[in-house]
Amino acid sequence: MTVAANVNQCLSTLKGIEAQLSSFAINSTVPEASKIFHETMMVIGEIKMDLEQRKIQLEKEEPQYKG
Amino acid sequence: MNDYTHIIVASILFVVTLFTITKIGGKKQLSELSFFEYVSGITIGSIAGEVIMGLDGNLLHGVLAIMIFGSFTYLHDLIGIKSKKFRDFFEGNATVFIKEGKVLEENLKKEKYTIDELNSLLRQKNVFKTADVEFAVLEPKGDLSVLLKKELQPITPKDLNMTVSPEKEAHTVIMDGNVLNDQLTAAGKNRGWLDTELSILNVTLDNVFMAQVDSYGKLTIDTYDDQLQVPSPQPRKLLLAMLNKCQADLELYALETVSDEAKQMYNKNAAKLQTAIKKIKPFLNE
Repeated sequence: MTVAANVNQCLSTLKGIEAQLSSFAINSTVPEASKIFHETMMVIGEIKMDLEQRKIQLEKEEPQYKG
Repeated sequence: MNDYTHIIVASILFVVTLFTITKIGGKKQLSELSFFEYVSGITIGSIAGEVIMGLDGNLLHGVLAIMIFGSFTYLHDLIGIKSKKFRDFFEGNATVFIKEGKVLEENLKKEKYTIDELNSLLRQKNVFKTADVEFAVLEPKGDLSVLLKKELQPITPKDLNMTVSPEKEAHTVIMDGNVLNDQLTAAGKNRGWLDTELSILNVTLDNVFMAQVDSYGKLTIDTYDDQLQVPSPQPRKLLLAMLNKCQADLELYALETVSDEAKQMYNKNAAKLQTAIKKIKPFLNE
């Protein structure tokens, strides 16, 4: 797998994690748990943004692997 | 009235009376926690038995006596709530038997307990060595409450400085194949959610004997068909594994890349994710 593909895969996993965390935050009736799920979701969102930028960079460098 | 009809009428009458009295007395009467409840419990029982079987007695006499005993306990409870002195007099205080690991012989004597009896009570609490006990007290009801020495107490997450995820009570949302709507509401869920969860588990409602939902919104079910293999997904554990994988990936990319800028970005995010994982980990244990 190319670097771009790797980053892409990681991005999708992060998206999955984000969605799962959001579902946990909504479904849990324990406020502390909901809070921590939500906080982690925000952190994941930040990481996702950084990775997305890196992905654009990579695609510029290796346009043949644009996915 | 012949003997048989007498017994039938008396039995029915006393079942109703006893039921009413216990209903009024409430759970406390059943617990026989204090002297009064103990005594009245026994007496009410024997009065009922005596009147049902004692064929010459007047039924209403028995009912009257039961009413009197019942109201005595009731009054005793009412006054007891108001006055501490009253409570102390009627129910007595707890007696300390072991303090700081030493048996208080004076108190044993006062309550007329022998050391054998004390040992037997301790054994019922799974204590076989008096030296293991920090503090033991004889309750007014007659059983012994034991506090073990700190080093012999069961270990708790607090002792280990562990953070555990808080957990609230589970709600039983399906019983005998019927949905309990008020429980479902109490759990903060609705029918649509329940139907989706059941279809994920691949079962129909009428095959579910019981289903409970925990405070993390996870549904566990018991089916009528015990041969049926119900999947038991562990979404929180899976999420933790996914988080760990992502964190490892980020570290790997940081090592692989040649660009300094990208390396920094990966390292920063890997560290960020690591801290987040550390925080969320106790909540993802199931």
